[in-house]
Formats: sequence, C-alpha cells, structure tokens
Amino acid sequence: MNVPIEAYLMLSLALLALGLVGVMRRRNPLMLLLSVELMLNAGNVSLIGFSRLWDDPSGQVFALVVMVVAAAEVVIGLGLVVAIFRSRTRLDVDEMSSMRG
Amino acid sequence: MATALAWIVLVVPLISGIVLAGWPGEPPHAVTRLLGIGSILISFALSVAVFIGLLGNAADDRSFTSSAFEWISIAGTDVDLSILVDPLSVMMMLIITGVGFLIHLYSAEYMEHDRDYRRFFASMNLFVFSMLLLVLAGNFFFLIVGWAFVGLASYLLIGFWYERPTAVAAAKKAFVINVIGDVGLVLAAFLILRELGTLDYGEAFAGASGLGANSGTVLAICLLLFVGAAAKSAQVPLHTWLPDAMEGPTPVSALIHAATMVTAGVYLIVRCHAFFDLSWLAGDIVAVVGAITLLMAATVALQQVDIKRVLAWSTVSQVGYMIMAVGLGAYASGMFMLMAHAFYKAALFLAAGVVIHALHDEQSLDRMGGLRKYLRVAYFGMGAGCLAIAGVPGFAGFFAKDDVLASALNGGAIGVFCWVVGILGAFLTALYMFRLLFRAFFGPEPAGGYQPAPHPSRWWMSVPVVVLGILSIVGGWLQLPFGWTEISDWLLPVTGEGPAILEPTHATEVVTIIVSVVMALGGIGLAWWLFGADPERRIRLAAIARGPRAVMDDAWRFDEAYDDVFVEPGREMADVMLTRVEPAGPQGIITGTVAFVRGAARLVRSSQSGMVRAYAFWMVLGIALAGIVAALIAAGGS
Repeated sequence: MNVPIEAYLMLSLALLALGLVGVMRRRNPLMLLLSVELMLNAGNVSLIGFSRLWDDPSGQVFALVVMVVAAAEVVIGLGLVVAIFRSRTRLDVDEMSSMRG
Repeated sequence: MATALAWIVLVVPLISGIVLAGWPGEPPHAVTRLLGIGSILISFALSVAVFIGLLGNAADDRSFTSSAFEWISIAGTDVDLSILVDPLSVMMMLIITGVGFLIHLYSAEYMEHDRDYRRFFASMNLFVFSMLLLVLAGNFFFLIVGWAFVGLASYLLIGFWYERPTAVAAAKKAFVINVIGDVGLVLAAFLILRELGTLDYGEAFAGASGLGANSGTVLAICLLLFVGAAAKSAQVPLHTWLPDAMEGPTPVSALIHAATMVTAGVYLIVRCHAFFDLSWLAGDIVAVVGAITLLMAATVALQQVDIKRVLAWSTVSQVGYMIMAVGLGAYASGMFMLMAHAFYKAALFLAAGVVIHALHDEQSLDRMGGLRKYLRVAYFGMGAGCLAIAGVPGFAGFFAKDDVLASALNGGAIGVFCWVVGILGAFLTALYMFRLLFRAFFGPEPAGGYQPAPHPSRWWMSVPVVVLGILSIVGGWLQLPFGWTEISDWLLPVTGEGPAILEPTHATEVVTIIVSVVMALGGIGLAWWLFGADPERRIRLAAIARGPRAVMDDAWRFDEAYDDVFVEPGREMADVMLTRVEPAGPQGIITGTVAFVRGAARLVRSSQSGMVRAYAFWMVLGIALAGIVAALIAAGGS
C-alpha cells in the first residue's frame, strides 16, 4: 500500500494547526504541553512521510530522536507543572507572568 | 679613591633611611638613633676623608668623575649615573653631613616625645641623601633628581605634624612653589641638551662658550636656571613658602630651611657659573633679585613676633646676600657666606629650638623674656649666632658678609647698588636679630612668670648648640680680609679666573669694613635702645609708623597678591567649570547616554509581557512572516 506524500503533509499540517491553536488558546499548562506534543508529532509525520518518499531511513531516525527529546521535555514540563501546582493551586499560564519586564 | 668614598657617603643615609622607613612598627629609640644619627656620622667621617684626600692633590687635580653605569642612552645622548667630586661638591658635602650630623644629634632629644620618632629620622636621612645627590650629581639629569627629592623630603618634613591643618597647608605651598622651580630647571636642562647635545657637566660647561657671549640662548638658560634657584632658595617672588615652612619641627627648619636646602640655589649658580659668566644681563638680574630679597625680607623680620618666623625671614634675607654675590660673579664669597650662614643660622635655629622645647612649644616673643637666667646653652648659641649674623668683627658673619660686600663694590654700577642695599641690610639684620635676643633673653619675664620653670636641655641638644655656636665664631677665620683666602683658593679650580669673577680688593675691603661695622654696631645700639634698655619703650613707641609697619607685618602682602592673582581666579574658574561646563559637558554626555539606553530599554521592556501564550502568538506570526518573505524572495529569484 502506497500512501501519497500529500496525505502525510495534510495530516501533519492539521496536527500542527491543532497544536498551534491549542498553545495560543488553552490556559492550562497541561493542555499546553499536550499541544506542543501534537506539534512535535506533526513534524514526525512529515519526517516519516518524506523518509518513505525518498526511501531514506534517516527521516525515521530523526523521528525517533524527536520522540526522545519530546519525552524529556514532557518530564521537565510536568515537573514544572507539579511544582507550580503545589505552590499556587491554580493552573493558569496567564497568571504565571512574574517574569514580566 | 675619592669617588669610591663619595659613593659610600651618598648611599649610607639612603640605606639607613630605607631601613628605618621599612622597619615594622616603631623600633626602640636607641635603634632609631643608632641608624639615623650613625649613618650621618659615617657620611661625615668619609666626607672628611675625601676632603683630606683632595687636599693631598695638586690644585688642578682635585676633580674626579665616577660613573656607576649608563642610565639612559638615546639618540646619541648618554646619561650616566655619575658623580662629580670636586672642591665645590666636597665643600657642600662637608657642610651637609657636618651640620646635618649635629642637627640629627639634636633631634634625638628634641623629637624624643614624638610618637613618630622613626618616621622623623627616616625622612631626615632621605633628605640628607637627596641633598648629597644634588651636590654630587655629575650631570643635569641627576641634579634634577636630587633637586626634586629634596623638595619631597622638605614636603614630608614640613608636614611632619600632619594633624595640624596649617602644617599640611604649608607643606603643600612649599611643594607647589618648588615645582615651579623644578619646571624652570628641567626646561633649562632641555635647552642645554638641545643646544649642546649633552647633559654632562664637564661637556656642557666646556661647550658653553660656543653659544656666544650674551646670546639669547645663554640668557634663557641662565634665567631658567635662576627660576629653579629662586624657588629653592626662596628669592622674590617665589619666597613665600619659606616662612610658612616653619610649621615643621625646629631641627627641620635648621637643617633644610636654613643651612642646606635653601642654599641649593646658590650652589646651582656657582656650579653653572660657566653660563652665568657669559651673560652679564643674567648675572645682574640675579644680583638685583637677591638685593631686593635681602632688603625686603630684613624689613619683614623686624616685625615678626614668632621666634621661628624672625629666623625664617632672616634666612630669606641672608640667602639674598648669597644670591646677590653669585649673581655679581663673587662665587667664592657667596660660597663662603653659604658656609658661614650654615653655621650661625643652624646655631640660631637650634638655640630657638631649645627655647621652644623649654617653654613647651611656646614660640611667641611676647611670652618670652629674661631667659638667659634659665637657658645658658641657648643663650650662648643665640648670642654667638646673633653676633655672627649681625657682622660683629671677629665672628663668621662679619668676614663672610664683608667678603661679599667688598667684592660687590668692584662690580660696577650694579655692584655699588648691591653694596648699598647690602649695607642697609646689615643694619637691619643687626636690628632684628638683637631685637630677638633682647626680647627673649633679656628684660623682665612675661607676666605671671614661667609655669613651670623652663628646663635646660640635656647633652643631646646642648652639644650641637655649643659646637655650632663655636663654629659661628671660628668658621669665618678661613677667609680673612687682606690676603688670607682659603675658601677662594680651594674653590679656584671650580670658579676659575676671569673678568666676570669678582674678588675683593684692599681698598674696597677697608671701605666695607668701616661702614659695615658702623652699621652693625648702630643696629645693635638701636635694638638695645628700643628693646633692651627699657622694655616699656617699644610699647610707648607702638603708634609710630603704623601703616608701613602693618605692610611689613603682612610680609609686603605677597600672599594676598598671589591669592588675588592666582588663587581667586583659579577658584572662580573652577566654580564656573563645576556649575556650568561640567554638568553640560562630560557629565552631560554620560547622563545623555544613560537616558537614551534607559528609554530604549523601556520600549523593549513593554514587549516582555510575561504571557506565554502571547509569546507563542508572536513567534508564530514571526515565523509566518519570515516564511512569506522567504517565499517571496524565492519566487522573485527564480
């Protein structure tokens, strides 16, 4: 079965758009992390699509690397969220603005 | 041999000064005395050895140079760290180390109760080293080094009691005026270097005649040298620092501001006489300045109430005699007077120090009287010094002053003018010195007597006073009128002979002796009538000539004039700079830069809202824009 590259790209674009809107719209940091994860996976879909198109495995290797990085990022992100939750109770990124200039 | 010893003479005070200066904490007084006084004694003994060594040589074989190493070698000019041992420098060495040793000995007791005993002796040793370097230097470079070092030592010692604001101000004043002189001396050295291509004494003096007699260059060199000499030797108009320098301890006044450093200008002119011989105008300017100084300072000394200030103005006046003599070309007479003055002025200062010490730092003549009953030693020193400085026959000052004046009488119209001024000065000298003697040692005790009674000095202080008192008597016998001319003969290899060099003749000696003896005795008589015979008379006569005496009391208002001409405009200019120029200029540039950076930062800061979602939006927008631009460029490029 040969999926055309356009399908990969459409899926990737859809995921990316979902992630972007999520990052910009949602105020819960957990949802933000999920949205970022969506965007990363949009990138992964594209990478794998092109890997198949060019019959080159390095795109898949990249996808694996991205997953590892994403996992690490989630670990740190969740750690931060838990720490913030402990001190503030309310999880709202708009209120986490103490770094305002 | 002579030069090797001279090197040791030079470095011993330096080493002891450094050791004392670097000593951790305050050493026991015995150690300080051993180092501080012993080093000068060694220097003196070796100076005598050098002197005896030179005496053994023929008169034209008494000049040696010795070079330690090459200091600078630039563009064909070599400056060596070299010393010149010749009759002139040996004479100065003997005076510096001899009088210096006596004054160091005296200081051991005088400064005993001061908490900075070590610092005092370290500074004094530094001074002796600097002064020796000044007179021993074999070229203008090290002359200037020594010249500046004595200025520094003088500054340190005038400001020795640094808790007193007046002492600090006096030290600063002395330093600033001395720097004016340093600048003159340095410019003179540059001019010599440019014209003659050398800073070495021998080469420079040998080449001096090549510049042409009475040429502008020679005149400029002479006048620049004289600026240096006038500042160091406190000649009008650069004399105002010396009376203020009396803020220093009395031994300092005796050593630096009477016997040695202030005569450095006289030494300088004698050393550089090869230039002064070539320009009659320069010599006459020097002589006239000296004459004006000696008369002006003598009138001021008449009015002083502070015992040390009387002596300070007297020093200015006496150095005026020396400068006048060397300006006219009577070099040997000037040096003779320098030596005699070192003896009797040191005796006077040290005797005054005994008085001040005995009266617990009382310096006002109004609080003295009848001291001869209490302080026999000081009375002897002061009496011998007064008789010597006034020019009573038989004493050192008589022979020295008459040598100067008898030489001056041979010096043409300017010489006669200087002779008249000098004779007037001799009268005033006798008057003001015996005023001091009569007011301090004769007459009634001050109201209420002395509480407690003045205590006589111990041997540390008594011995130097007595020795210098005796030297004030016998020190003049080296050069007697009518043919006994040890000093002139000794200095002959340095001064040379020629039409520019004055010496007394029999006729002028006879005239001078008669007139000056009459003047000296007249001055003493007047002083006795005014201050000695009847102590109330000066109070009854206080109303006479109040105006002129007020001017004299204010030292002819030189300080006020300098305040008006230099200090006040300077202060006002600084004020304008501070209130107008500085806020708009340098400060304005800085505040402007800061304000710009701050404004820009405020602008950038407003974008940092702290809203993560807004950042995400801006980021997406930015990437989108960048993508559009990249796409457009790619489309345009293809």
